[in-house]
Parts: sequence; C-alpha cells; structure tokens
Amino acid sequence: MSVLGIELRRSAAAGAALITVTVGVAALYTAPGRWSEGWMSLALTVKEYMILLWPIALAAGAWQGRREHRAKVGELFATTPRSRARRMLPVLVAMGASVGLAFLLVVGAGGLWIASTAAYFPPDVVAITLVGALSLVAAAWLGLGIGRLLPALVTAPVLAVAGVLLVFFTAIMRPDWMGAIMSPAYGSSPFYAFQTIDPRVTAVLALFMGGLALTGVLLLVARGPRTSVAAVLPVLLGFGAAAAIVPRDEAALVAPIDPVARELVCTDDAPKVCVTRVNSNVLDALTPLAREGLAVLAKLPDAPTQAHEERWAYPVEDAPTRDAGIVTITVRIDDHGGLAHPDAVVPEMVFGLGTGYGNPECERNGAVERAAAYHLLGREPVSDVGVIPEMIEEEPQLNAEAVELWQGLQKLPAPEALARVTAVRDALLACQDPTGLLSR
Amino acid sequence: MTLHLRARRVPLALAASVGAAALIWALWLTLSTERDAILLLVVLTVMLMVAVLSTTLAAPDEDLERTAALHWPWRRAVHLLAALAVVLVVLLATQPTGARFGPAALVVRDSAGLLGLTALCAAVVGAARAWFLPMGWAVVAAMFPQSGTWGALATWAGQPHTSRPAAVVAAVLAVTGLVTYALLGAARRE
Repeated sequence: MSVLGIELRRSAAAGAALITVTVGVAALYTAPGRWSEGWMSLALTVKEYMILLWPIALAAGAWQGRREHRAKVGELFATTPRSRARRMLPVLVAMGASVGLAFLLVVGAGGLWIASTAAYFPPDVVAITLVGALSLVAAAWLGLGIGRLLPALVTAPVLAVAGVLLVFFTAIMRPDWMGAIMSPAYGSSPFYAFQTIDPRVTAVLALFMGGLALTGVLLLVARGPRTSVAAVLPVLLGFGAAAAIVPRDEAALVAPIDPVARELVCTDDAPKVCVTRVNSNVLDALTPLAREGLAVLAKLPDAPTQAHEERWAYPVEDAPTRDAGIVTITVRIDDHGGLAHPDAVVPEMVFGLGTGYGNPECERNGAVERAAAYHLLGREPVSDVGVIPEMIEEEPQLNAEAVELWQGLQKLPAPEALARVTAVRDALLACQDPTGLLSR
Repeated sequence: MTLHLRARRVPLALAASVGAAALIWALWLTLSTERDAILLLVVLTVMLMVAVLSTTLAAPDEDLERTAALHWPWRRAVHLLAALAVVLVVLLATQPTGARFGPAALVVRDSAGLLGLTALCAAVVGAARAWFLPMGWAVVAAMFPQSGTWGALATWAGQPHTSRPAAVVAAVLAVTGLVTYALLGAARRE
C-alpha cells in the first residue's frame, strides 16, 4: 500500500486525475442545458466529452511511461530480483485508478446538479459510465506502454493529437458498427430526451477497450521486441470478439430509443395532460399551461381534449399518424431541469389549431394560420420571433398580412369568425390549402 | 551549429513533426472524398507540429548553455521563426496536392498564434510542459467554436480564417510569445 502511496505522490497520476476532473467538470458546467434533462443525457454528454478526456489520459500515460528512461535507471532496476511485471504494478494501478476515479467524479459532479430534478434513472447509465471509466484506464495504460516503447519528449503531444483524431473520426466513421466498437464517444450526439445506447454497443466498446488496456500492459512489461509485437494480439482479439457480437442494424446503432423513457406519464384527472417518463418532473408545471391551451382550442367544435408531449423521434422514424383528439406539445428543459420557455406552451398549442404540424407535403399558409390562431387567443398577431424560442428571424411581411386578416375577423360577428377559423382548421386536417378561407 | 541542433534534439523533432503531418496528409488523401481537410484536422495538424517542435525550445542543461558568451535573444527568436517556417512550408506545400490543408490565412494565423502561446508557456513552465495549455485550448476551440465577438476571442483557433477577433488574438499571442521567449528563454525545470 505504501508503495502505491508513493507512486501516487511521485507519478503523473494525481496530475492526470486533476486535469481530467477539471476539464470534464468545466466542459459540463459551461453548458448545463445540454444534460440537465436527466441521467441519460448526462451520460451521453460525458461520453461526447471523451474526445477531450480520452486523449488526456493517453498523453498522461505516455508522459509517465517515459520516466525510467528519463531517470536513466532502466539498467539499474533490471538487476533487481523483482520481475518487470511486479515492478510496473504500482504505476499501472496508480495511473488506472486515478483516471478511472476522475471520470466517475466528473459524472458525479454532473449528477449532483440533476439529482433532484431527474425523474428517471435508466440502468444503462451505470454500464455506460463504468465502460467510460474503463476507456480512460485503457487510454492511460496504452499511453504507458507506448511511452515506454518510444521514450521521447515528443511522444506525449503526438499521442494527444492522435487520440483526438482517433476518437473523432471513429465516432463518425462508416460503417457505423466499426465506430461503435472503436470510439469511446460513439452514439453521444443527442437527438431526443428518450435516447439511449444499446447495451450491446456498450459491451463491444468494453471488449475493445479491455483489449487495448491489455496491449498497453504488455507493451509496458515486455522484455524484448518479440513480446512487444505480441502485445498487439489482445487488441486484435478484442476487436474480433466485438465484431462478432456488435449489432449491425441501424435501429440499435443510430440514436436508439429507450421505450420505457418514452412511455407517457399522465395526470389522473381530465383534461388529460401527458409527458414522457424522462420528462415527468415537469408535468406539474406543464399541466396548467396545457389546460389553458386546451381551453383556448375548445372554442372550436370537435377540439382536442388531451395534450401529449411530442414523442416523434424525427431523425429515425417517419411522421406518426395524428389523433384528432390529442394536441402535441414540444417540451423544452431549462438549465436546471425545469420547464423551459413556459410562455411558449399555449401559443404553440394553438398555432396549429390543434392539428399538429402536419404533413410537410400539404399546402400551408402561415399568415392565415397565424390570424386564425390569434383570433382564438384573443389578441393581435405578433412575429414568431420572441414567441417560439428557436425562431431567430422572419419576414415582416408575414405578420403584416396576418394582422390584416385578423382585423378582418374582428369586424365580423363572432359566430361567423369562428366558422371561418373552423374552416381553416378543417382544411389543415384535410390537407387543403387554407389561403383565402378567412377573407371570403 | 550542427552540435547545437543535435543537442536540442532537432532532428528527431523535425522528423516527428514532418512525419506526423505527412501521415495525416496521406490518411486524408486516401480515406476522404473531399479535397479540403476539415478545420479540426487543419488546426490539430498545426498544433501537432507546433507541439513537437516546441520540445526543442530548451537545452538539456539551460544553466550551462546560458554561460556561453553568445547573444541568446537573437538566436532564440531565429529558432522560433525557423520553427514557424517549418510548419508553414510543410502545410502550405499541400496546397497543390489532392489533400489541401488550408486556407493559407488560417494556417498562418493558427501556426503563429499557437507557436507564440507555446513559446510563452515554455518561458513560464519549461519546454517539456509548454504544449499542455495550447493543445487543450486548440482542441476545445476547434471542436466547439463559438460565435460572437467574445466567443471568437475565446475560441480563436477554431474560427474561420476571416474572423478579425481571432486574428487579433493570434497576433498578440505570436508577438508576446516571441518577445518573452527571446528575452527570457525557457524556464529552467525539467
């Protein structure tokens, strides 16, 4: 134990852990909105930051692996009766444990922020995090091995750059399954809150990283060039075993859906408001707003009676068929895990007149729809900029047209105005162009 | 002169930096369908060459070297400019080839800025550790470039070559690094 203590104090292990924690936590807290949604988004975000952490561990290993050469004690130590493997054990444990623990600390630091708001803890998060820690251990050990093989000052910076390029290009490479095996950052681009990583993908990464770690160990303890050459065997075996079991279908590789996270959690009382399980902590905040939106829509005949969170996984699924009795809401999560942009909920529900965003192939008319929606809301149309958070700019002409149509509606008797708004809604449902329906 | 270069391990650094750049160039040439390398790759190649060459910024024994009756500031400045020239010549030589590392303005800006920053770090923490900060900064800047003036200042190395704030930061770092390193030399610690 005391050997390990000395090793921790004298080697680059503590420094590497410190840099890893600092970089990881700084990266997380620079943009907490990226992972405040829940545990899985935290796990995915940390996995994305592997592009920074993995090269750090690799370079730190190489830096440390140069030590015997730098101190010129190789020959002296070789005369001791201890085997090289025994002598290398403390440095392996010290480097591996410190970068592995540093990784867990980074995840823990993020976990503190979301612990009180994250409603759903998928068990896959544990596996993804542990394999993430294993990836860093593998990087550090591989670095140690290469640092001993090529004990020059330039090895560490070269490996740092090589590590960044390796993680980046394997994460985006084709075929996808190869990237899934080799990249510690694979599958981390977030598309929706109910995304996950297939357990088999986590398993094959563990196999490959395990092989890589073993290769590093063999390089470090190798006694001659023959052992050094044999050291590539574990990583090849790891890759082979991983290639045999890696899933090849897109559904398991590209932004897979966690069906449990996507299940609806609803209010007990009517009118029903539902959100996905992963966002169920915002149900209480959303319910009054969603009911307000339903009340506005209820002015129309046959209006929807339920509000559900939008659950369409748009990059991997076709548009779902819409139920006319349900209006969908886009739920956004703020930096603290609560409901973001509450002011946008009611307008967004009313903008489609309860029909959703519909089929993109249908003819639409922004000005007519806006005038109809604001007639229901009972106020003058304004530009979407400032109402819908993602909107950055729009043509001023669009709103001028909408205001004109809206004023026309205001002058009509109420039942006639409502009949025209209903006609617009029916046209949207029937995939017809609503142009001209307000100003007959 | 030859002895000086050999003492600074220049042949190894030169071979490593040019070799690594050639390797990246060859990989892009064979694996990519695009002719122009992506920004991340250009910035990292520059950083790689700068980091490798920065290991030559200190002598094995700085104290001993400083006792020599030579005018060191000029030699250090020339050393730094030569390193810059190596990076520029190698990367600009890729322009007529099938795998271009450019645009030229970006290569010049990032090479000068990163080399200046590295020299500055060498003067503070020693040549062996000089690449830590520039490397981290360059990777973050190239991976997550930010917009806006402050964002461009903070992630200057990853900005498009037309960005003025990024050019200003690079120029300031280049000049500060050159002057500081020429006057002080590398910090005396391994």
